[in-house]
Amino acid sequence: MCGIVGYAGRRDALPLLTGGLFNLEYRGYDSAGVALREGDGVTVYKTVGEVDALRAEVPVSSEATVGIGHTRWSTHGKPTDENAHPHTDCTGDVAVVHNGIIDNYDALKAELEGEGHTFASATDTEVVPHLVEDELADGKSAKEAFRAVLDRLEGSFALAMVVGDSDEIYLARQDSPLCVGHGDGETFVGSDVTAFLEHAREVTYLENGDLAVVTLDGVTVEHDGESVERPVEQIEWDADAAEKGGYEHYMLKEIHEQPQALRQALSGRVDELQGTVDLGLDLPAEYLRSLEEIQIVACGTSYHAGLYAAHLIETHADVRVTVHVASEYAFRGGRDPWRTLVVAVTQSGETAETLGALRDAARTGARTLAVTNTVGSSVTRAADDALYIRAGPEIGVAATKTFVSQVATLALFAVHVGRVRGTLSATEASAILGDVRGLPGAVQQALDADEQVRAVAEEYADSEAFFFIGRHLGHPVALEGALKLKEISYDHAEGFPAGELKHGPLALVTEQTPVLAVLTDGANADATLNSVKEAESRGAPVIGCLSDGRGEKLLDDTLDVPEIGEMSPLVANVYLQLFAYHVANLKGRAIDKPRNLAKSVTVE
Amino acid sequence: MKAVILVAGEGTRLQPLTESRPKPMLRVANRPLLEHVVTAVRDAGIDEIVLVVGYRRERIQSYFGDGDDWGVDVTYAIQEKQLGTGHAVLQAESFVEGPFVALNGDRIVESDDIERVVDALRETGETTLAVSRASRPSDYGVVSLEGDSVVDIVEKPPKHAAPSDVVNAGIYGFSPSIFDALRETTAEGELAVTDTLERLVGAGEVEAVMLNGQWIDVSYLWDLLRVNASIVTAETAESAQIDASASVLGDVAVGDDVRVRPGARVLTGTALGDSATVGANAVVANSVVLPDATIGAGAVVRDAVVGENATVGPNVTVEGGESDVPVNGRVHADVRLGGVVGDNAHVGGATTLAPGTVLGNRVDVETGSHADGRIESDALVRRA
Repeated sequence: MCGIVGYAGRRDALPLLTGGLFNLEYRGYDSAGVALREGDGVTVYKTVGEVDALRAEVPVSSEATVGIGHTRWSTHGKPTDENAHPHTDCTGDVAVVHNGIIDNYDALKAELEGEGHTFASATDTEVVPHLVEDELADGKSAKEAFRAVLDRLEGSFALAMVVGDSDEIYLARQDSPLCVGHGDGETFVGSDVTAFLEHAREVTYLENGDLAVVTLDGVTVEHDGESVERPVEQIEWDADAAEKGGYEHYMLKEIHEQPQALRQALSGRVDELQGTVDLGLDLPAEYLRSLEEIQIVACGTSYHAGLYAAHLIETHADVRVTVHVASEYAFRGGRDPWRTLVVAVTQSGETAETLGALRDAARTGARTLAVTNTVGSSVTRAADDALYIRAGPEIGVAATKTFVSQVATLALFAVHVGRVRGTLSATEASAILGDVRGLPGAVQQALDADEQVRAVAEEYADSEAFFFIGRHLGHPVALEGALKLKEISYDHAEGFPAGELKHGPLALVTEQTPVLAVLTDGANADATLNSVKEAESRGAPVIGCLSDGRGEKLLDDTLDVPEIGEMSPLVANVYLQLFAYHVANLKGRAIDKPRNLAKSVTVE
Repeated sequence: MKAVILVAGEGTRLQPLTESRPKPMLRVANRPLLEHVVTAVRDAGIDEIVLVVGYRRERIQSYFGDGDDWGVDVTYAIQEKQLGTGHAVLQAESFVEGPFVALNGDRIVESDDIERVVDALRETGETTLAVSRASRPSDYGVVSLEGDSVVDIVEKPPKHAAPSDVVNAGIYGFSPSIFDALRETTAEGELAVTDTLERLVGAGEVEAVMLNGQWIDVSYLWDLLRVNASIVTAETAESAQIDASASVLGDVAVGDDVRVRPGARVLTGTALGDSATVGANAVVANSVVLPDATIGAGAVVRDAVVGENATVGPNVTVEGGESDVPVNGRVHADVRLGGVVGDNAHVGGATTLAPGTVLGNRVDVETGSHADGRIESDALVRRA
C-alpha cells in the first residue's frame, strides 16, 4: 500500500523520482522520501506529509543520476520524519525503501542493537540497512550482502536499495509487487507501472523470490541463486486515463463513468436471444456440473459484491455459495476440494489477504478463479482462471465503478454456471441478461438525478449517524452504502439487513439518525417497509431508493430506481455513492485520499 | 495553438433531449455534435483543446475524459453560470497563453475551414472572424465587409433589413488581448462574443475569413434527423449482433453491442446508438436511436428520435412524415418529424404516435394508447 520508485540513467534523478512518487501518491500519503546516489555516498531527503511537502524539502536539482524513493502509509510507527523512508544504516551509506511487513524484525532489531547498531526509527524496515552494513563489513559485495540479508527476512516485502559506492539499484520481491521499466539508456523502478508510465512502456514484472539488479542498461534477475530471464511486456494503456478529466475528485469521475464501465464489462459477452454468456473461461462443463460449493473470498467493497453475487449464483445455478472475508478464510471441514470452486474478488488483484486466502484454497486442491480489474496482477497469476471486470483504472480510494462492474460480471457468471448446470432455462436466462443489459441506461438515469441527491445530502449531512437497511439483494447494497459514507465522510454509518433493525440497532435510531432504505425490485421492498415504519415511529427521517413508488407516503425523501429486476439494487447503490460523496464534500473531506486508508491493501 | 470550444449552453429549443444533456452532446451519426467538432479541430492540426463546460458538464467530462481517445489533450474550464458566450471565453483565460481559436461545440464545421482561420490568425495576429453565406441570414449575425475587413455586424436583423447574406459562422481567431476587450464590454444581462466584436469592428480590428465548407447547425429536434441523415454512413461496430434474417440497408450507423433481431429492417438515414435493441420484425427508418434504447417487436419507427434507455413497445407505430410542431410558443409548419420519445420513457405496446408528437423524459404511455402533441416529462398517458 506504499509506493516505491527508482531511477538509474543519465538524467537528473531527483525530479524523475519525485514525479514518480507523485504519480503513486494515491497509494499512500503520510510521508515521502528519496535517496540519491551522490559522489561516494547517499543523500537522503524525507519528510512527513504528501509528496508536495517533499518537493519543498529537496533542492531544485542534483547531480545524482541514480536514486530510489518512497511514499508511505504507516504500518509500523507513527508518521514522522524519522519513520519516513528511505532508511539508512549507521554509516549512512546504505539506503533502503520497503513495502510490506518484515515479520521477524523484533528479533533482528534486538540482535542488531545488541551488536551496537543505533536505530533512528520505529520501523521494521530499518533492520535491513543495518543487516546489510554488517554483511558489507564482512567484505561482501553489495549484491552478496543484499542476498545474505534477504535469506534472514521473513514476511512480505518489496525492497529497493542503493549503496554508497555503486550505481546499481538492488531489488527484491516477496508477496509485494515490484516492476522495472525499460527506457532508452535509463531504467525505472516502481511498485506499480503508473510510477513511470510516461517515461517507459516496456515493463518487466518481478516474481516472488526474485533478486534483481538495475543499472542504466536494464535489469538482471536471479531466483534461488540462478540467473533467470523475465519477459518484457508492453503496456498499452495510458497513465493519462488516470487524470481527473474536469471532475473535482476521482471518485466523482468514477461514479459518472459507471455506465461506460458497465458497457465494457458486458461487451461481447451476452447473447440474450440464446440466453447464453461467453466469458472465455476454461471451466469444463463436467466440472461445473460436479460442483457442490462455490466459495467467494474478498475484502471490503469486493466482499459486498461477493454477497450480492452469492444470492444470484445460488438462485440461478442451484449451487451452495458461501462468502468469506478473506482475512478470516480457511478451507474448513466437510468439503470436497475437488468439488469446490474458490472465487477471489479483488479490484487491484494485489490485495494481500485475498491472495493469501486463494493460495490456501489452492493448496487444498480446490480450483480457483480470480475476478479482478487488473490484467497481469498477482491474483491472475496465482489463480487457475481469471475473469476481468474491465472497469478501467480506478484511482479513488473508495471503490465505486468497480463494485457495479464486479456484480454485473458475476451476474453473467451466475447465468453461465446456471445454463451449464441446466438449472436455468434459456428464457429465464434471457430475462436476467436483459436486466443486466439494462444497467448502463438505468445507472445513467440515476446519475442524471445527481442534483436531487445533493439536495438530500445537504438536508442530512449534519446528522449524528446514518443507518442503511435492505433485504435480500438490498442487504449488500446497504452494507456498501454505509461503507462508502464511513470511508469518505468519517461519519458513523452502519448497514443492516432490514429485519435485524428491531433486534438491536433500533435502540440507536433517533430523530438525528437518518435511515436510508433500499426499496427496489430484488430487495423484498414490502417487508423492508415494516422496518421503515419502525424507524419512522422513532422520529428518524427515512430516505428511500425505490422502484414503483411503493411506500412513497412513508418516506421523507425518495430517489427513483428504474425497474430492472435483480439489478435494481445496483442502481440504488449509485444513489448511495452520490449521497456519500456529497456529504463528504460538504464537510470538505479529502475524498480521494481518506485518512488512514489506502487503495489496495497489500499487507495482511 | 489551442482551441477553446464553448459547450456550456443548454439548448432549450431541443427539450426534452437537453434536460439531461447539454446540446453539444446530442448525437448525430452516433457521435455527439461536440465529437464532430473535436475531430475537425484535431484534423486542423490543433491537439490542445479547452472545453468551457457548464450545464450538465458531467456528460461531457465523462465522454471525453482527457481526450486521449481522440489524440488530443482536453482540459476543462468551468463556467458556473451561463452568462453568455463572451463570459464563457473569459473562463478560458487561464488556460491559454498565445493566440487561439474559439468555436461553438454544437455546430459542425469542416477542418479546412478551421485551418483557414488558424492561418489568417497566424498571418495577421488580429481578431479573425469566419464568415459564410447563408440562405436565411436574418437567423444569424449578419456581417458587412470591406475587402477582408469586417465593418459591421448586426445580430439577427429583421428579414428586410439584412444588409448582406454574409453571416458570422461562429469560428473566431483571437489573441490574448481579447480577454481585456471582453472585460471592457458592458452588456445588459449576458455577455456575448458578438457584443465585443461589434466594438472591435468599429475600430476596424476584425479580419474576415470566408469559409468554403459546409457548416451544420442543429436548432430544433427535426434538425437532428436532417443532419443525421446527411452525414451518417454505413458503419457497423464489430460487437453488434445483427441476426442473419434482419436487414440493415443504406446509410445506417450501428453502434457497439447493438442487437438487431430476426426479421427487423433498419433503413437508410438511421443511427442505432450503443447497446440499442431493434426487436424482431420491427422497421426503423430515418431515425436517431440513442444508446440503450429498445424498440419492441413489430414496431414501426420512422422519422423519429428515440431517447436514451427509452422503450418503444411491440407494435408501436410512429408513422412519420410532416407535421406542424410548436416550439416555445411558435408553430413550425410542415417539418419532417415522426416523433420524439424522451430519455427513459416507456411507450406501451400497440400505441400510435401522431406525427410531430414529443414525449418528455420518463413519460409512461399505457398499452394501446394514442399520443399527440407535446407531453411533459414524467407524465402518464392513459388509454382513452
